[in-house]
Amino acid sequence: MAATIGKLDSANLNGGQKLAVKYFITAMVLFGAQVLFGLISGLQYLKPDLFYEVLDFNVNRMVHINAMIVWLLYGFLGSVYWILEDEAQHEVVGLKLGNLIFWVLTAAVAVVVLVFLFVQVGPGKESSIWLINEGREYIEAPRWADIGIVVSVLTFFYNVAATFSKGRYTGIGGVLLLDLLALFGIYLAGMFYTTNISIDQYWWWWVIHLWVEATWEVMVACTMAYALMKVLGVRRKIVEIWLYIEVALMFGSGILGIGHHYFWIGTPEYWFTIGGFFSALEPIPLVAMVVHAIFDAGANKIKNSNHPTMAWLIAHAFGNFFGAGVWGFMHTLPQINLYTHGTQWSASHGHFAFFGAYATINIAYFYIAMQQWRGKVWMAGDQIGNGWKWKWSIGLLNLGMVGMVMAMLVSGYVQSQIERAIEGSTWAGYFAAQAHPWFVQGMWWREIFGVMFAVGFVLLVWDLMTVGKHETRSMVEAKSAE
Amino acid sequence: MATNQWWASESFWRKTAIWVTGGSLIVLILLTVDTLPQIAAGSKRVPAYSTINFRIEYKYDDSRHAQVPVIGMKEPLFGKELSEQDAEALVKLGKLTTQSKNCMNCHTLLGNGAYYAPDLTKSWLDPNWGTKELREDQMVEFIKNPSDKLHNSMGRRMPKLGVTDEEARGVVAFLKWMSSIDTNGFPYNFKPIEQED
Amino acid sequence: MNAVIEPARLADFFTIFFTSAMVILLGALYALLFAYSRIKVMPRLMPLAYASYLGLFVSTLFLAKAANLLHHPLWIAVVVFMLLGYLLAPHGIWHLCVGTHVDEHAETKDVVQKSS
Repeated sequence: MAATIGKLDSANLNGGQKLAVKYFITAMVLFGAQVLFGLISGLQYLKPDLFYEVLDFNVNRMVHINAMIVWLLYGFLGSVYWILEDEAQHEVVGLKLGNLIFWVLTAAVAVVVLVFLFVQVGPGKESSIWLINEGREYIEAPRWADIGIVVSVLTFFYNVAATFSKGRYTGIGGVLLLDLLALFGIYLAGMFYTTNISIDQYWWWWVIHLWVEATWEVMVACTMAYALMKVLGVRRKIVEIWLYIEVALMFGSGILGIGHHYFWIGTPEYWFTIGGFFSALEPIPLVAMVVHAIFDAGANKIKNSNHPTMAWLIAHAFGNFFGAGVWGFMHTLPQINLYTHGTQWSASHGHFAFFGAYATINIAYFYIAMQQWRGKVWMAGDQIGNGWKWKWSIGLLNLGMVGMVMAMLVSGYVQSQIERAIEGSTWAGYFAAQAHPWFVQGMWWREIFGVMFAVGFVLLVWDLMTVGKHETRSMVEAKSAE
Repeated sequence: MATNQWWASESFWRKTAIWVTGGSLIVLILLTVDTLPQIAAGSKRVPAYSTINFRIEYKYDDSRHAQVPVIGMKEPLFGKELSEQDAEALVKLGKLTTQSKNCMNCHTLLGNGAYYAPDLTKSWLDPNWGTKELREDQMVEFIKNPSDKLHNSMGRRMPKLGVTDEEARGVVAFLKWMSSIDTNGFPYNFKPIEQED
Repeated sequence: MNAVIEPARLADFFTIFFTSAMVILLGALYALLFAYSRIKVMPRLMPLAYASYLGLFVSTLFLAKAANLLHHPLWIAVVVFMLLGYLLAPHGIWHLCVGTHVDEHAETKDVVQKSS
């Protein structure tokens, strides 16, 4: 009962995958919101009166970064549902509940965004933090939504744990479950109010750093491990040993790497050397990936059945290396971080690292999903139209991102010199740097490359909706990887 | 040929992953236990909220090669000395206001936040406020009604966020208290407002 | 005892940004050439790999000087650790690759022998 090749048909998906595509579609919508609000905030640097006292920078920027966090998470959750049945060899346990939670969570996200946009701020009372806006970067979601997120993550954990228990536990499954538990536990560290801003930021970094530089990395390593087996046909045993190795290296360097956020928030001086030491360690997992990738490429003949996915996985490798590795290490030592902390340097690094390490891998999964959804359609070479849409979109998105990152680097450089080193971070020093021609030009170029990125995004949406549509050939499956 | 070395085996790396993760987490928890008392309000690095009753200076310390906050003579905020409890209540109102008005998505606090507006870590000590006599009233007035004030040559302005008089006083108390935190010399080379009598 | 950190001087900013980027880039290039030389059995690439490491070594020293890392024993330890760690990491990872792929290679050889 082979489905029609090239036609979107949910009969091509298993239960978990049907839920996964809902997460993926919502993720793309939020990705669009991220791009849109990023463009508006970028434009406000250049035209400060734009939407003044209607949609101010703080609102746009908050939507920009929160849309990012949520769309990346939606991509991860979707990817896990995507692999779950196949990996556990059992249909998703509690799928109905999983579906319900998807709609509840998505409704909650919509309400939070609407409140952000239309209520924006509240009086200086705890009720504002509960109902409107927590006012802490990245975790602005009000407390009621925090509780909703916790309930959703717990349900998700139940789906995954019960499915693996009823089916079979694999190495990937085990790592995934422990990682989810950590992901959930860490989120709790950001769910309380304190007047002491040093303690506030101490725990705030637990959420931000231990998510982004530890548990997210491992989550991606799990779904990546699965993708390597399916797309490239690498053997399970090898994939799983390397998953453990990467977990050891990532957690070993990443958990205490939190020290590089504890230089200037009131915390004791011993964090200087802890932060410096583990920051120097953080590139080691990347070096390991380089060596292993070369080894694998040399030892196996790589045949891949999904060119867009492969291209995005390569973009992931480069983006992660440059964005997290090079850009991170350039300004991480406290002797220089004193001048770069809280400038456009951070913005440059943040854009590059989030995109390189996470956006890329989600997009890779979106292509895996589309291929299956259209009945395991051909997505290797000689696609219809020579695959111009995916090629142009990956080109524009990556070039746009690199352009933005370089532009912000120039602005950040000016800022660290003029505002910090020379003027000493006074209000006057801040604006002296912001008005400097190099800084301003950096902001212009950021916006121009931002538009390029947005065009790439539109093409990406178009391609995801149409890739493989009139294709009649079916994919050549990678050899079974058990 | 198929002789697996123990250091290349699955079980070795599974155990290593678990031990490394667990070990790092335990070290982090121990460091947290050590750090938290050192940054509790009332500690040496993070002074008590009633510090707002005193003059706060930011001076170069030769042995640390960095500027550090120095708590000076009595100089109560808004000319009124507060008990520890009242001081905490006022700073709390200020901190809650900075959160509910979403200050952090334009400004940085202790260097964290967004980069559209100046860092607030030492804003209490910023020379922008003119003289120390004018400072308190200027700050309150600015926070309440920023729209029509002169900000900079670029036309970037803080929006009016509906901050009440009491909230604005709370924010100023919070900013004064925050400037007393020992941030290991961040921001560097800061030139504070003239405070000598 | 000296201060734990000695902030960089403005004149050294560029050196720090440049050399720390070079440390990571050359570290990866060294790893890449090293692995490629071994897997493709091209020993003449190995000197290039070590030349990359030499570049990394020099970059690290310049970085250490510019960031005033050599004034304090803890930071000297970090520098030494980096120099040794980046030198040895590709070797260690390579051994792991060989060790973990033992079975697969046996199979690949079988296949090659059968098909010839």
